[in-house]
Amino acid sequence: MQPLLKAENIVSYIGPYTILHDVSLEVTRGEAVVILGRNGAGKTTFLKTIMGLVHTRSGVLEFDGETLVDKETHVIQRKGIGYVPEDYGIFDLLTVEENMRIAMWKEDPETKERCDWVLDLFPDLKLAYKRFAKTLSGGQRQMLSVGRALVNNNRILLVDEPSKGLAPVIIETLAGALKEISKTTTVLLVEQNFAMACAVGQRFYIINEGKTVESGTMADLIQNKELQAVHLGI
Amino acid sequence: MGSNVRLSFDKKPELPKLIALAALITVFLVIPQFMRNTQLIMMSRIFILAVYGMSYDILRGYTGFINLGQAIFFGSGVYMGVIFLNMQNDLWFFMMAAGSIFVASVIGGYVMSKIVLRTGGVVAAAMVTLALGEIVRNIAERWRTVTGGQDGLPLRFSRVALEPLFTTRLGAYYFAFVFLIVMTFALRAFVLSPTGRVLQAIRENEQRARFLGYDTQKYKTIALIVSSVAAGFSGLVFAVIVRFANTDYLSITYTLNALLITLVGGTGTLYGSILGSAFVTWIQNFLLDLNRSLGWDILRYPMLFVGSLYILLVIFMPAGLLGGFFQLKNWWDRKRLSRATDNTPEA
Amino acid sequence: MGTIVTLVVNGLAQGALIFLMASGLSIILGMMGVINFAHGTLFLWGGYMYVWSYYAIRLRVVMAWFEAAVPVTRFGNILTIQGVQLPPGETLPFLAELAIFVAALVIAVGFVFVMGLVFEKLFINRVYGRVPAQILITLGIQVVFTDIVRVIWGPNPFPIDRPPFLNGVSTIGTARIVHYNVFLILVGLVIAVIIHRILTKSRIGMVIRAGLQSPDHVRAIGINIKRYFTIVFAAGAALAGLGGALYMPLVGNVVSTAGMSNQILAFIVVVVGGLGSFMGSFLGSIFLGLMGVGIAMTVPGLSVVANVLIMALVLMFRPNGLFGLAVSRAD
Repeated sequence: MQPLLKAENIVSYIGPYTILHDVSLEVTRGEAVVILGRNGAGKTTFLKTIMGLVHTRSGVLEFDGETLVDKETHVIQRKGIGYVPEDYGIFDLLTVEENMRIAMWKEDPETKERCDWVLDLFPDLKLAYKRFAKTLSGGQRQMLSVGRALVNNNRILLVDEPSKGLAPVIIETLAGALKEISKTTTVLLVEQNFAMACAVGQRFYIINEGKTVESGTMADLIQNKELQAVHLGI
Repeated sequence: MGSNVRLSFDKKPELPKLIALAALITVFLVIPQFMRNTQLIMMSRIFILAVYGMSYDILRGYTGFINLGQAIFFGSGVYMGVIFLNMQNDLWFFMMAAGSIFVASVIGGYVMSKIVLRTGGVVAAAMVTLALGEIVRNIAERWRTVTGGQDGLPLRFSRVALEPLFTTRLGAYYFAFVFLIVMTFALRAFVLSPTGRVLQAIRENEQRARFLGYDTQKYKTIALIVSSVAAGFSGLVFAVIVRFANTDYLSITYTLNALLITLVGGTGTLYGSILGSAFVTWIQNFLLDLNRSLGWDILRYPMLFVGSLYILLVIFMPAGLLGGFFQLKNWWDRKRLSRATDNTPEA
Repeated sequence: MGTIVTLVVNGLAQGALIFLMASGLSIILGMMGVINFAHGTLFLWGGYMYVWSYYAIRLRVVMAWFEAAVPVTRFGNILTIQGVQLPPGETLPFLAELAIFVAALVIAVGFVFVMGLVFEKLFINRVYGRVPAQILITLGIQVVFTDIVRVIWGPNPFPIDRPPFLNGVSTIGTARIVHYNVFLILVGLVIAVIIHRILTKSRIGMVIRAGLQSPDHVRAIGINIKRYFTIVFAAGAALAGLGGALYMPLVGNVVSTAGMSNQILAFIVVVVGGLGSFMGSFLGSIFLGLMGVGIAMTVPGLSVVANVLIMALVLMFRPNGLFGLAVSRAD
């Protein structure tokens, strides 16, 4: 079966600097895949490369059989790729409601239904619905960012380090929510928090210095203490 | 960004380069003997505007700061020259004018740096310097008793500035040529000096320069002052050639001239300004000649053509003619180098 | 008392005009990160297009209405501007005059809107994210298109009339109220309210507010922000054009240098009000308009330098603008 997302030998750069040297991975429909690796390994850059925010120099990058290389970011997103950036990408000058609405492809009953589902998933957002986003806490921003990516009928969700800088209680809530989401949507998660990765992921890839170095099932990784020590510093 | 190709300055020029330079200087010392007056004037303008262009390049090319009020200093130089020579047409008063424009440029440059370097942003700096320039032009236009307002201020006493010295256009030509040579060496020395090196470091990466412990504000202020003084001097010598001052020399038009000169020559190349000045001055002269012979109304607006050329340059040749040449040369060298290594037999 | 009322009305009218220019400039700067040094030229084109079309339409209407009408006074090179002398004692009905005025405004604003579209597609488009190139290119456009105005309509200033129905002066107590000034204030207010509504209520307003913070994130949620850039740039241009069109009848004199001088005023407002802020440019315009009139009244000698002085002081001591409203972008 054709994978939903396929990356082969990706090399990408920002200005004069090459960040990714050789990244390859595949995500099949319905899977939850985690990308692990140390700080600065290129995990975030890989997600940005998929979104076309970082330019690809060479390699194959395909979504459902169509290439994503040299496509504009908004075109890529409209193919059905939801993206939760590392810094949330919440618009401070918009209310929570507007942050949701601006992301909607169209305002039809179906979208409305998904929006309600998101608000049930994150009751915090429902309470703050009419408030300006600049008043939100870090955890609420992350929820809004994830929730916003779910209002459209996306075929895959890219989530960049949702646990970063958040309190353990909130991480737990988010992990639960992501687990719930992964039942219906394909998820590609970048994560450093091992507990979160274990809770959500089925398979894993490890990126180190811009290259994919290891991959396997999450269950294997949990067993393999040596691998954890070398690449994750656990 | 387009213009990351710059001339690297060797501290010690090699012998062949020196000989070539000497030959070039000799040519420029001899050919005026065979030139008509109009050609002499054009050549003199080229020399002086080259210095003006270099003054701009010190700022834009070496610090990245876009000053849209550069013409304030150039125009002040022109006015200063005409005003002093109108008092007495001799070398002493010329020297006094030089002293005055030096002091005025240093103060003006310092004040300007205090206003615009505070915010650090290129955008704010450009907006403010544009406004400052327009205000100075506006004041000059209203201050009729000194500047002659919109009618301008001609040199009163004689047809020729500094009469005992230069009774002909030829004298003025040599004067301008010597000025160009002296200023080129002076500005080259500045760029090569420790201060100049720091400025280049700031241009490459201001944050890093700051982390290395340099007071970048101070260095930028120095660059602005050096640039203002050079612009002021070039205005002063320009007064000797054109023997007339008006508010145009203070206006955005003349700032654009400087921008265009550096753009054609390539920013950050210093010598490129000479090429740029030759090109820009020649085009403007050509348009004026064309207007004289054809009498087309549209030719009365040289900035229409010069400005269009400038837009095209910004879009298609951001590194300038000389910069473009060096880009090409770099590319060629690299290609040759790689071919040479390819052919090297494996040991 | 009467003098103060007169001054305030004059100052607010000035402020309204500056606001038309500054608001577009400010939003373009805030959202697109583009500083438009060609804004003054758009203002100028709005002015000349208004004057030209106003006189062209009015000439034809009057000639059709009155057999005895005679064309008079000619200005301009390629496009000429022709006034018309009505037969003694005759006037056009109010509605006809109003229609001519509105039609001329629509033509001027529409024309400048298209200019904005073309500029964005042809030039601005190529220099996003490259501030020095933006400054250089828009400055070049400013010079070239200002000279084109001179080629078409000639370099010399010429006098024009206000529409007759806006030409009156009322005396209330000791205050002299120029009707055209009141009209300007009303237009300024209406435009401010419309912009505010668009910014807060519409989808395009949401995108603009989001784009002020980070264009990249707007792209990442599937929005083609370049299309919005084009629209915003053209709308800003149209506002500048409207400013120019309303400015010419106010001063009663058409000059090709008006573009640059008004652009500098708008720059000052943008700096004083805080870069990229709509509210800032609104408050800043009122502030500058009132201050300008006040200084011209009390120390006329200072009026040339006062604005630049204010801008310099604000930059030195309050880089976020007088009201601290400058928009900081995430990227």
